[in-house]
Amino acid sequence: MQQRNWIDRGFEISARHFARRTSRRSFLSQLGTFLFGAASIPLLPMSRVGAQAADMGFKDPDIEGDAGDPQSCDYWRYCSIDGFMSACCGGTATSCPPGTEMSAVTWVGTCRNPADNRDYLISYNDCCGQSRCGQCFCNNNEDDRPTYVPAKSNNINWCLASSTTAYNSTVALVLGISEGN
Amino acid sequence: MRLTFLLAVLVFVFNLFSEANAESAHFNYILHCQGCHLVNGGGTSGKIPALIGVGRFLSVEGGREFLVRVPGVSGSLVNDAELAEVLNWILYEFSPDNLPRDFEPYDAEEVGRYRKDPLVDVEHAKDRLLSLIET
Repeated sequence: MQQRNWIDRGFEISARHFARRTSRRSFLSQLGTFLFGAASIPLLPMSRVGAQAADMGFKDPDIEGDAGDPQSCDYWRYCSIDGFMSACCGGTATSCPPGTEMSAVTWVGTCRNPADNRDYLISYNDCCGQSRCGQCFCNNNEDDRPTYVPAKSNNINWCLASSTTAYNSTVALVLGISEGN
Repeated sequence: MRLTFLLAVLVFVFNLFSEANAESAHFNYILHCQGCHLVNGGGTSGKIPALIGVGRFLSVEGGREFLVRVPGVSGSLVNDAELAEVLNWILYEFSPDNLPRDFEPYDAEEVGRYRKDPLVDVEHAKDRLLSLIET
């Protein structure tokens, strides 16, 4: 004990003191996290372009069932996706990775949710503005049409009407429920 | 009394029917049009025409045909009846202030006739109609 110098002793005392006075749930650390977290959210690069396209007043169904993994190509919403899944690229199934911009122009189709066996209107918005994500390529072509029917083709780069046409990845937004079922 | 009741039932059934029409028209709009023309019919300037205010084409000669013969409408993947329905829906929804007072909704037969003759030189036809509208 006596061999330790005054720096070690000083650190030990202050560390023990600090440990006695604070806990992992200490109010101060929570407040700090909250302040820092709240302040940094608006700093994240994020585009709201797609928000307008997506805002249909329809609540995203939270019924997911077996095919509920947004990072899997079998995820029910991806029944006609052709591209990299945003959920593997830093975004989610319904939001684009940071630094990309969601295309307002999209292609729309329907997919059946196995959890409730109903058909939902799905909008495949591309995330634009950065180079290809390269993760989780998924190419399901339910009801896909050739490119000479452009409005119903998933082979098109839907970043075509965005400020930059660089394609990164794709999201699948639920716009509504199909009638009659 | 009995007549009033019968009328009420008829009106109720008619309302149900027209509501169902509007619903299926809106559904077809989302599925076949909204991807490009957007949820509010705003389009993208210089790339995709806006649907807001398209009713003004109906006020000039040839405009009624034009709205059906443009590629997006004539080549859409819906049948004539559905096309007439969604076209009327677009006009009422996005262009209520530009509709001529004597506007008569499209029907399947009329739409079917016009779409058999799709426009090739769309821009030229559009400019001609727009100049007619302005004068």
